[in-house]
Amino acid sequence: MLAAALVLAAVAAWWLRTRDGAIGTPRKGAVVGELAVMRELGARPEDADLTVVQFSTAFCGPCRATRARLHQLQTTRPGLAYLHVDAESHLEAVRALDVRRTPTLFYLDRSGTVIGRSSGAPRPDELAALVDAHTGVQS
Amino acid sequence: MNPVSPRPGTTGAAVPQVDVRGPRFGAWLTTFVLAAALLAGAGWLVAAQAVVFAVGAFAGLRYAPYGVLFRALVAPRLGPVREREPEAPPRFAQLIGLLFAVVGAAGYLLGAPVLGAVATGLALVAALLNAATGFCLGCELYLIVRRAQTARTV
Repeated sequence: MLAAALVLAAVAAWWLRTRDGAIGTPRKGAVVGELAVMRELGARPEDADLTVVQFSTAFCGPCRATRARLHQLQTTRPGLAYLHVDAESHLEAVRALDVRRTPTLFYLDRSGTVIGRSSGAPRPDELAALVDAHTGVQS
Repeated sequence: MNPVSPRPGTTGAAVPQVDVRGPRFGAWLTTFVLAAALLAGAGWLVAAQAVVFAVGAFAGLRYAPYGVLFRALVAPRLGPVREREPEAPPRFAQLIGLLFAVVGAAGYLLGAPVLGAVATGLALVAALLNAATGFCLGCELYLIVRRAQTARTV
């Protein structure tokens, strides 16, 4: 039993590491609806090169670190807009966007297209690369 | 201060903060206690761990036995605090740990050792993940619980 638990923990650790923060392309189909939901939350993608929408809860430690990282990126990338959403007080949106874990981040370009989605704290280098690719900053 | 669940951001009150190394230390200790309990099939050890979880979850991490141990014995040897975090995430994890430990202890002590071992094993997995990788149980579960709750009441 102990051995089974240890193996399960190892598998879970590996799975979480490959999955956490990986920035994937969003599923097809629900794109228009997703934009409407995020507009309702206050996102204005047309005002920035890249808009990042982050869903967090109070019970999520990594959310805080991710939020700080994005605020820091914003200081040097004026084309980056950031919207922070408390998931608990927006459960309708959480359900509409099928957010299951926190932090979950959505990446919108200027046209309002959801170009990416990630859950778990994004890897710093990947996040910076994505931001730079869309805000026209050479790093 | 609301003793049940302080929510950062929704109240102006100061959020209780803990040294990030405290919960990690507690998770290692929990891992060893639960591993010993599994090896020995000792229900009373799981019950003791359940009490430890309960104090952390309900009274706050300040009073959690492993937290007290950390501050008294470990922290003075580690050097100054480099990072603090709000206590809500680790406290939520203590609550989930409590649920599993209660089921585990009940299984062992009431004559269902397989149930006891499975529940204890799952608690062990969560504690080990937390200790080794900083795994955040609240990140994975809290939103799912809240979604399920409102789905029922609506």
